[in-house]
Amino acid sequence: MLRMSLPRRVRLLAAATAAGLLALLATGTASAIQPGGITDEARLMNELFWIVTIAGLIVFALVAAALVYAIIRYRRKGDELPPQFHGGGKIEVAMVGVPILIVIGLFTISMITLVQIDDKADDDALTIDVTGFQFSWQFAYNLNDLGTNTDPNAEGTIAVIGTPANDPILYMPVDEPVEFLLKSNDVIHSFYVVDFLYKLDLIPGRVNSFTVTARETGDFRAQCAELCGTNHALMRFTVRVVERDEFDAWVADEAARQLGEGTLVSSSGTQGD
Amino acid sequence: MATVAVPQLSGYHRPAVLDWITTVDHKKLGILYLYFTLFFFAVGGILALLVRTQLAVADNSFVGNDAYNQIFTMHASAMLFLFIIPVWAGFGNYLVPLQIGAADMAFPRINALSFWMLPPAGILMFAGFIVDGGAADGGWTAYSPLAQQTGVGMDMWIIAVIVLGMSSTIGAANFLVTMFRMRAPGMTMFRMPIFCWTMLVTALLQLLATPVLAAALVMLFIDRNYGGQFFDPNGGGNVVLWQNVFWFYSHPAVYIMILPGMGIVSEILPVFSRKPLFGYKAFVFATIGIGGLGFSVWAHHMFTTGSVLLPFFGFMTFMIGVPTGVKIFNWLGTLWGGSISFPTPMLFAIGFVSMFLIGGINGTYSAAVPVDFALHDTYFVVAHIHYVLFGGSVFAVFGGLYYWFPKIWGRKLNERLGKLHFALMFVGFNVAFFPMHMLGLDGMPRRIAVYADSAGWEALNMLSTGGAFLIAVSMIPFLIAVVMAFMRPKDQPDDPWEANTLEWATTSPPPHYNFDSLPPVRSERPLFDARHGDEAH
Repeated sequence: MLRMSLPRRVRLLAAATAAGLLALLATGTASAIQPGGITDEARLMNELFWIVTIAGLIVFALVAAALVYAIIRYRRKGDELPPQFHGGGKIEVAMVGVPILIVIGLFTISMITLVQIDDKADDDALTIDVTGFQFSWQFAYNLNDLGTNTDPNAEGTIAVIGTPANDPILYMPVDEPVEFLLKSNDVIHSFYVVDFLYKLDLIPGRVNSFTVTARETGDFRAQCAELCGTNHALMRFTVRVVERDEFDAWVADEAARQLGEGTLVSSSGTQGD
Repeated sequence: MATVAVPQLSGYHRPAVLDWITTVDHKKLGILYLYFTLFFFAVGGILALLVRTQLAVADNSFVGNDAYNQIFTMHASAMLFLFIIPVWAGFGNYLVPLQIGAADMAFPRINALSFWMLPPAGILMFAGFIVDGGAADGGWTAYSPLAQQTGVGMDMWIIAVIVLGMSSTIGAANFLVTMFRMRAPGMTMFRMPIFCWTMLVTALLQLLATPVLAAALVMLFIDRNYGGQFFDPNGGGNVVLWQNVFWFYSHPAVYIMILPGMGIVSEILPVFSRKPLFGYKAFVFATIGIGGLGFSVWAHHMFTTGSVLLPFFGFMTFMIGVPTGVKIFNWLGTLWGGSISFPTPMLFAIGFVSMFLIGGINGTYSAAVPVDFALHDTYFVVAHIHYVLFGGSVFAVFGGLYYWFPKIWGRKLNERLGKLHFALMFVGFNVAFFPMHMLGLDGMPRRIAVYADSAGWEALNMLSTGGAFLIAVSMIPFLIAVVMAFMRPKDQPDDPWEANTLEWATTSPPPHYNFDSLPPVRSERPLFDARHGDEAH
């Protein structure tokens, strides 16, 4: 019996090792590539990503090991008919029960994360009006709605408007909640900042909003994620997260420049389309 | 006159072409479906190679941005509407009457009508390339308002999809009546072959979902041409309404595209494991469960619109993983304890199980709503759908072709070429589509014609393109095997695989009315019973 069971154990071990190695390889690649996220919200989403990934890899490793083991162990060796097993009983309960437990667990964890990231900003948080158009972006800042350090009596709006050939830069301060209001007047676009691990659509006829608190400074690439026509691929922009004083300085410069050019518009107006 | 002229039973010989055009025989119509859909598989494949060539290097200008949008739109449209959905109608047409022991479909003339609606629709859709403004270029999802902006090619696309939908709706009614009314004596519903069950649920989905798509397309057509404002917020319409009605069809359609493939795999695995399907009833109920739940998950394509009840659709999307998981157990349990041999159809079936497993796991990422916020509309999702629809459906199509080729054409495809085909396709598939997971995690959106060098996506894209061409190369041994088979005489016996179901109880290929006599049907494996009697129960 020992002689019979030894190669079987070896085969099982080989199958499990192969499946485990594949799973490890996938984990390694994912961790090398998956951005950790630069906002509080993104970090929560990243944790959920890893929970889903680990659960998925365990399922993959178990099923793949069973599959590899079965096709090695049960190769046809003769004409004798194998036992005709139709299933049924406890094992079929397990077939339904195990997946139900897995998906209810993952669903619960997802919902907890969803509630955590769905926080609304205070009224006095910085608000950035984002308008997507074919094929670039406008980022507008109302001078009396700049979050901390806002002068409530300031008037006017500064706007950054890009073109497909000249990607606009979205300035935002680090370590404070920033609310984005997303609008479109032509077709659907999607505001996608990779390192936010988040995207939200800009839909004609409605305003979508979300709030994030960035924790890292630097330049982060972003682009439209919803097919919007010929130059969809060129609808890129950069998110530049800076310290608060740097942000204030940029606002002051821009306001002065746009006032000089006569492009500073009254609070109610919009620019570009 | 004492003599009477006896009429000679020489028959009326129609020319072969006329015979094929006027036939109402389910087998000939099935073969026509297969030829038609495999043609568009090739067309869609060539379009895919154009897409992959454009994306192979950063800042490429192989095709322009406008042309690119047309090419990927028509790639998806060809693959979904002209290949994968009708290819199941092809297998179903050929096999369902044979598997249930019937002489033909319930409504043979309607059957012919279903098929003959396809070629004009395919021509109309592709004629978009020669009209002003080019072919449809709004993606196969045709999101409004973008779909309002494009040229007349979009109108042609809309009409073509409506016609294809009519074809599949009446085809579905035909399949349902056939399976409900024309089963052989002894064949209860729970003795029906598993492929028939998957066709039955698929037909139900088509019957219930396709008219919704037709309504949405008519609304879009009116918006575009007659100033309707269904989807225009400036006229009181709603942009997101299009997505709701479109996905109300198109998510069930994903199951329309995969369920018969699961059926084919569930025919092949038991035959080459020499065991019954493990958990036949569980499989049937899981199929019905997928069909039912399939109608309650559509908005998971819309999580980033900001107008979706996220917890409900997140929950339903997770729940549809349960019947899918049950099927993985069915297949593992079938192999377990079997006596497994590995001819080409079995390789494709096992390939299906392993790739579909990945396609199921990477789908859960999109069910976890916050993770979907990151991955939606990136290449991660492109990887997911191809693991399901190529690693799943296309592997099942080829498994089915190798498996039933002896029945349909009376000849076997060469085993060595078949194995080479499988190996090349399996490797090519994974090289083409696995890197897309990484590209998606790294933030590459789908449907972009170009990406900047600075994005750092070139190496993985180049790898993926290489895989795509390897898939194309894998078709060469398949085509050689087909040509070689047709150069040989028909030499296949009734049942070359020692199979289980009734189509193997008649000659290969079967005569015009299918059966001279039927074996008794006392289980879901009448041929196994005939071979082994009661010894193995």
